[in-house]
Amino acid sequence: MRISRVMVWLSAVFSMSAVSSEWPTDLAVSPSAVNMTLQPKVVVNSGRLEWAPFKRDLTRWPSLSHADKQPTPKPRKVMLEEPLNGDPIRGRELALAREKGYCIVCHELPGEAWPGTVGARVLNFKQHNYSNELVFQQIFDSRAFNPNSVMPPYGTFGILNEQEIRDLVAYLQSLD
Amino acid sequence: MKLPQILLTLFFSACWVGVAQAVDAPYREYDQMEDYLPHVKGDMRLSGSYRHWKDPANLDWRMAGSPEDNWKLNWKFMDPPFNASVHGGHFALDRGESIFKELNKKGRFAACLGARKGSLKGLRARYPMYRPELKHVAGMEEMIEHCGAKEGRVLQNGSYDNSAISVYVASHSNGMPININVTSSGPLKASYERGRKLFHTRAGRFNLACSSCHTKQIGLNLRGTVVTTPYGDAAHFPVYRTRYQLQSLQLRFAECNLDARTQPLLPSSRAYTDLEVFITALTNGYPVSVPSERD
Repeated sequence: MRISRVMVWLSAVFSMSAVSSEWPTDLAVSPSAVNMTLQPKVVVNSGRLEWAPFKRDLTRWPSLSHADKQPTPKPRKVMLEEPLNGDPIRGRELALAREKGYCIVCHELPGEAWPGTVGARVLNFKQHNYSNELVFQQIFDSRAFNPNSVMPPYGTFGILNEQEIRDLVAYLQSLD
Repeated sequence: MKLPQILLTLFFSACWVGVAQAVDAPYREYDQMEDYLPHVKGDMRLSGSYRHWKDPANLDWRMAGSPEDNWKLNWKFMDPPFNASVHGGHFALDRGESIFKELNKKGRFAACLGARKGSLKGLRARYPMYRPELKHVAGMEEMIEHCGAKEGRVLQNGSYDNSAISVYVASHSNGMPININVTSSGPLKASYERGRKLFHTRAGRFNLACSSCHTKQIGLNLRGTVVTTPYGDAAHFPVYRTRYQLQSLQLRFAECNLDARTQPLLPSSRAYTDLEVFITALTNGYPVSVPSERD
């Protein structure tokens, strides 16, 4: 009983000190807002720079501040439990959704205009005969294969959940 | 408090100190460091596009009109003297001139910015520089905020009026090559090295560094546009943008960060100033050209 009370007291003190001392002072944030990240807004003929809430809270990931102590999530190897149970139609929606996969930024997808050319073309993906597990790992965290990969680690960084990645794998494997 | 309680407290505090020390050096990933030349011609080793925008007065207008090729001009066709159109940057220039003249009635404002004998000629080409009164390296806009405050005027770094003055000051250096020394040891070199490291530091929701796109992917399509070289970019800032009205280089970094889903920093932050020094050094030898515009 006494131990648990001490633990609660200690954890409260520690979590407070963690927030106040670890938070860099040069981040463009409004700590009281739900969505903490701010974006600059230039007002014509004014000496003041205004800030508006950004559509996403980006404080969960490291910034470029010299004082930022937030660690980068380390590369993760994952196992895929078969069966895949992915929905290829939902997968295609995720591949094109701005706040989800948005694969078109880097990859050419069938039937879509203005593709990126930074990533490999994913037309006729099925011909490569990649295993589901390999494709799943590539989307979840491509750093497992190549530490210099510039593909965002969608699973490790919490951008897509497991089922969403399964849907994407199903979509890619359906491209004849 | 009883003895066991005190001992327990001490034990957990000790654990916490251990954790805190481990947290002090967070895990980070870096792109492979490129070897940069702190001069604009270093681009010949990186993308080779420099040969097309080397002479800003004589750009190939056919390339400027071709969506396939215009990235090779590094968008210099939107800078004067090639771009002779009147745009929002010219209004900013006029506004900057009137505020500057108002603040500089006694010549103190120009002196505070670092003008030699009151002349603004060539001043922009020497920035960012170490400022003894701030005891650190500062960009032009940080100094404008600092010197404005001494004259009793609020000119926040990144604000329209601040950038307008910056455009006005820069206009006195039009055609003069950027010239900052990051090779002799000193605060500027240290800042350049920190900026070079930051350029390769992975950050944000997508785990991207500046260099993830702007070294190996130059000339490729990304987000519906084409990736360009980091060389030669500092010569036309602050720049007129339709969305931002007037954008300083450090606000451009904030936009880059937000586009790549990384938490942006405040203007005048040490990290952004280090990046500014790095990017400006990669523009060494290229002429200042304001007022300029970008999409």
